[in-house]
Parts: sequence; structure tokens; C-alpha cells
Amino acid sequence: MTPHYFLFLAFLLFGVGFLGVVIRRNLLIVLMSLELMLNGVNIALVTFSRVGLNLDGSLFVFFIMTVAAAEVAVGLALLVALYKKRQSIFSEDATLLRN
Amino acid sequence: MQPYYETEGMESVILSVLLLPLLSSVVTLLFLRKNGNVASLLSVATSGGILVFSLYIIFQTGDTVFAWEMTWLKLAGWELKFGFLIDGAARLLLFVVSFIGFLIHIFSLGYMHDDKAKPRYFGGLSIFMFSMLGITLADNLIMIFVFWELVGFSSYLLIAHYFSTDEAAQASKKAFIVNRVGDFGFLIGIVLTYWTFQTVNLQEIRNLVDFDPSLVTTTLCLALACGFIGKSAQFPLHVWLPDAMAGPTPVSALIHAATMVAAGIYLLFRIDFMFTVDALSLLATLGATMGLFAGFCALGQRDIKKILAYSTLSQLGYMSAAFGLGMPGIALFHLMTHAFFKALMFLGSGSVIHACHHEQDIFNYGGLRKKMPITALTFLTGVLAISGVNFLSGYFSKDAILLGAYNSNMIVFVLLYTGALLTSLYMFRLYFLTFEGDSRSKSAKDATESSVLMTGPLLVLAFLSVVGGYHTLFPDPIVGVLLDDISRVAAMPNHLWMVVLGTLAWIIGGGTSKLFYGRAFNGEPLEARFPTLYDLCKSKLFFDEIYGFYVSKIQDPFARFIEVMELLFISGLLVRGSAGVSALFALLAKACYAGKIHAYSFWFILGIISFVAYAIGFLGN
Repeated sequence: MTPHYFLFLAFLLFGVGFLGVVIRRNLLIVLMSLELMLNGVNIALVTFSRVGLNLDGSLFVFFIMTVAAAEVAVGLALLVALYKKRQSIFSEDATLLRN
Repeated sequence: MQPYYETEGMESVILSVLLLPLLSSVVTLLFLRKNGNVASLLSVATSGGILVFSLYIIFQTGDTVFAWEMTWLKLAGWELKFGFLIDGAARLLLFVVSFIGFLIHIFSLGYMHDDKAKPRYFGGLSIFMFSMLGITLADNLIMIFVFWELVGFSSYLLIAHYFSTDEAAQASKKAFIVNRVGDFGFLIGIVLTYWTFQTVNLQEIRNLVDFDPSLVTTTLCLALACGFIGKSAQFPLHVWLPDAMAGPTPVSALIHAATMVAAGIYLLFRIDFMFTVDALSLLATLGATMGLFAGFCALGQRDIKKILAYSTLSQLGYMSAAFGLGMPGIALFHLMTHAFFKALMFLGSGSVIHACHHEQDIFNYGGLRKKMPITALTFLTGVLAISGVNFLSGYFSKDAILLGAYNSNMIVFVLLYTGALLTSLYMFRLYFLTFEGDSRSKSAKDATESSVLMTGPLLVLAFLSVVGGYHTLFPDPIVGVLLDDISRVAAMPNHLWMVVLGTLAWIIGGGTSKLFYGRAFNGEPLEARFPTLYDLCKSKLFFDEIYGFYVSKIQDPFARFIEVMELLFISGLLVRGSAGVSALFALLAKACYAGKIHAYSFWFILGIISFVAYAIGFLGN
């Protein structure tokens, strides 16, 4: 088996997620892009775990998924709170600290 | 070496004589600003107190030396002392300062009685007395320097008494600035002294020089003499003294004739052991030249006080010459007699000016002898004394200088002798124009004799101008310091010859003056007969113009050049430059703070990537 394809897929997922974080203005999409980046990392970790014939990478993936789930919960809650306060979840509207 | 004075408690007497005028001026300036009469009486009482204390000090110490000092400042291993040294010279100057100061205070009561700013005036006089006594009593160079600056400051205050007139304001500035030039040299001299001797105490330096005469250098003593040149208004810093006459006349008498300018001579006397032969001969030549040059200037002046100012310059030149010829005692002797007759003449001119409602041009006087007999008579005494008429005070001291010069340095003698001729010429000119002939203006016609407050001091000073030359009349504690040099001069040859020459000098000068000014005339007779000579005298050899040219054409452009350099390099390149560089970085950094979460996440991830790249060695490490 060749790990290159998997690593390429992981890099692609990470890159798409990164572009999403940097470019998109909707914070919901940004949150989703973050998940995409985490999943890219997860794929890379699983690949290394297979290639290296040990469970270190796979084990780490479980932790990441747990943390990601918690993060999404907190992030969504924050988004809801933000929307309640501002009636908007677009990043350029959250400018209280600027100026 | 004279014996030391050992009795306890003398230092507290000296401290009180020093602090009394300071206290008086502080009280005047703090509490009596509105109350001129009380302030003037307080100041006069203070000067009377100074006189009493000074006489006590003088007679108590007798012919001994009293030295006392305490620590003033302590910086690590370096100590600055505050101390007194009462020796013969200090006693003499103490007498002159306190006695003449007292008379002039009394005279001021009359002269300033209708002045609006009496408290300021008398407060200034008291500050002056304080500083002058400080110079007299000080036992080390740094203390002398401190009080030296203080007399300069009080002189500035008092010259600027009529500060609303442009002339007085300019003159006070000029006096202060020109004195700074001299004092800078003096300061360098003090530093050099400390460098060489590790002490500034006069007695310690004297002992060190006695031990090893090669320690003194010409540079060192000439730097110290700069202080003398500035304060005593000798060439080339003489330009401030004639202008200083813008102050009230009693101030001119006290500060710019009798005491402060004479302090330069006193300083020389105190440090005379540090002078090398070269420096002495330079001082003698400078002094003699000044004696002659100032005489010429006086001849071309019309302002009564300026004539007297130039005559002061000339007499200070005599003292400097006497010092340079190795007769410091004679210089002090002349200082004393000069203080008497010059204070007399200044006060006399003050009396005249007061009577003529502040008219100072001698061509607007005339015929005042009949209106002001006491002033005229006492003034004549002063004129005779300064001209060296036989057996008056000036005769003894000036002929001693001339005799010393005749026997040691012919060039100096010729200069001084010509100066003596001129002295009697311009002094009699002043006398004839002011007191003889007809009144030439309304104010001179209406003049009346001044009050007894003004004529009293005149009579006392006139008496001293007559007998002041007989040193045996004074008690020993005062004139003891002069005796060595006087007996040395008395033992010199050519006495008879000098009496003849000296008598000829005043007779020729007075006679020429009588010829020119003793009868009716139109305009200035000297100008009519010798226009070139008169113009030359009047121009004062263009020193003011030369200094003005130097300042405006050389110093100002240089200052502007420095200013441009400063703007360009220090404030431009260094200050603004460094600020500009950091501002540039700030601009760059500020650009990163876009306030957008996208931008932050972008920088964050870029940072992580760079860090990883560095960690795994992609950046070439």
C-alpha cells in the first residue's frame, strides 16, 4: 500500500479547510472548515499509524475527534450567542475591539 | 611668617560681618518691598554694623594671621572648604570696603531719596556688600570664585536699576557677559590649580610653591589673571566699565570705582606667589598700556561719569603695572588711595548730577563752583589728588609706581608717565568745564548745593584724599601689609628726579587744560584745534566696533552654522532619525493588526508553518 495518496488527500482536506477559514465570512462555514482541517490531520495520523505499524497515531485520532466534538459544541453555542446579540454571524460585523 | 591669631570665637564675629548684609537684603527683598524708607535705613544701619564689626576684626587680629575653615561640601574623597583668612591685605580691603561702603550708603540716602525703587536699590547694595566681604575674607579660590560671581550678579542688578531705559538694560547685559568671558579663564585657572596642587586653599598653595617654585607655570597664573582682567576691566575686556555708568551714581562710586573693580588687584595680591616673571612683565605692560589708552579715551568723552570711568580704567592700569613690576604692596596702596579720591569724585559727580536733574554732559554744566561750593571744593581736592599734586594721597602712591617703573622698566615708565600727564589734563578739563566759567544750560543755572547727607561723605572722603597718602597716620593693622614695599620703594634711587617729573606732569596737564578750557569758548576747544586727535580719542580706538563686528560677522554666522549642523545631524539624523526608524517598524507591525479574524488566522498558520519549517531544518540551519 502506498501512503502517498492518503497523505495527498489529507493535505488537500487541510488546504481546503485552511482556505475556508481564511476566505469565508460566515462563521458557521469557518467552523466547518476548521473541522475539515482537523479531519485532514486525522487522516494523516491514521496513515502514519498504518505505515509505522503501531497504534500511536490511531490513538491520537480518538482524542482529536473527542476534542473536536467538544469544540464544535462550544463553537456553535458561541455562534448562537453571537447571533442573539448581533443578529449576524458574519465575521466583519464583530468589530468591537477594532478602533 | 606672621604669628597666628589664637583666640576663640573670632570666626563667629567674621561670620556675622559676612551674614549681616545678606540678612538685611533678604529682609528687604522679602518684607520691605513697599517700604522704601525703612529699607534704606535698614541698609545704612547694616553697613554701619559692618563697619563696627570690621574695625573690631581688624584691631582684634592686629598684625597676626587668622585662619579658620570648615567643611562645606563633601563628595567622596573631595572636600570643599568654607573658610576665612584674615591677613594684612584682607584687613586693608576690609577697611576700604566697609568704610567707603558706609559713606556711600549714607550718600545714597540723599541721592536716592526721591527714587521709586529704593528697596530694590538698597537690597542690591546689601547683596553687594555681602559678596564683596566674601571675596575679602575667603581663604580658598573656589570660595573666592563663588563670591566673585556674586559681585558680578549684584553689579548686574545695580547697573540695571533704571532698567526701563534701554541704555541701562544693555549695559547691565554687557557687563555681565564680558565678565563671563574673564571668569571662564578664571575657572580654568582654578581647575588647573587644583590639578597641580591638589588643593585650592591659598595658604596651602603658598607653602607648596615655597617648597617647589617650579610648580607654577605661566599658563596657570595667566588663566587666574583672566579673572582680574574681566573684573578690573583691563585690556581687552575693558569695554564694559564705561557702559556700566548707566547705573545710579553711588553704585558707580562703590562698585565700579572703589571696591569691586579693585577686587581684581586684591585677587592678584592674594595669589602673587603663583606668578612667574613672564606673566608679571605681561601684566605690567598691559597695565601701563591701559593707563595710557584709557587716558586718551577720557579726553574725548563728554559724559561726566564716563570720564571718571575711563580714569578708573587708567588707575587700575597703574595698579596692574605696579603689581607686574613686583610691587604688590604699592598696588594695594594705590588701591586704597584711589578708593578714597575716586569715590570722592564719583560722589561729587553724583551731587552735581542730582543738582542738575540728571544732566550728565559736562558741556551743559559750568559755573557750578559758586552754586555748589562744598561739592566743587571737595571735587577739586579729588582732581588734585588723582593728578598727583605734591603731598596729596595720589602723589604718594602714584609716584611710588612711577619711581618703581623708572628704576626697572623704562618702557612701562614712559607709558605710565604719559598717562599721568593725560590724567591731569582730562581731570582738570572735567573740573574747569563743570565748575568754572559760565553756566551753559538752564539746569546748571538752577543748581543748588546738595543736602548734608551728600556733602558729609564728600567732606570725609576729601579729608582722606588729602592725608590718605601718609601711611604712618593709619593704624598698623590696616597698612602693615604695605610697609615692606613702601620701604623698598623709599630706598630706591632717583627720588628727587621723580619729584620734579611728577610735579611737572600735573603742572603741564593742568596748565594745558587751563589754556584750553579755562576761558570762554564755543564748542569743544580740543576738537577745534586738533580734530584728528579728538576724533581718535572719541572713537576709543574702535574697540566696541571691533567686538561688535566680531560678534555679528564671525560669531553669529558661526553660531548659525552650528545651529544648522545641530538641526541636520543631532535633531535631524539622531533624534528624528531614530524615531523615524522605529515609526517605520510600527507602521509595518500595525499593518498586521487588520482587525479581521481571517487575517489573524492566516498569520497564525503562516507562523506555525514557519516554525515547523525551522524545526525540521528547511531554513538552512
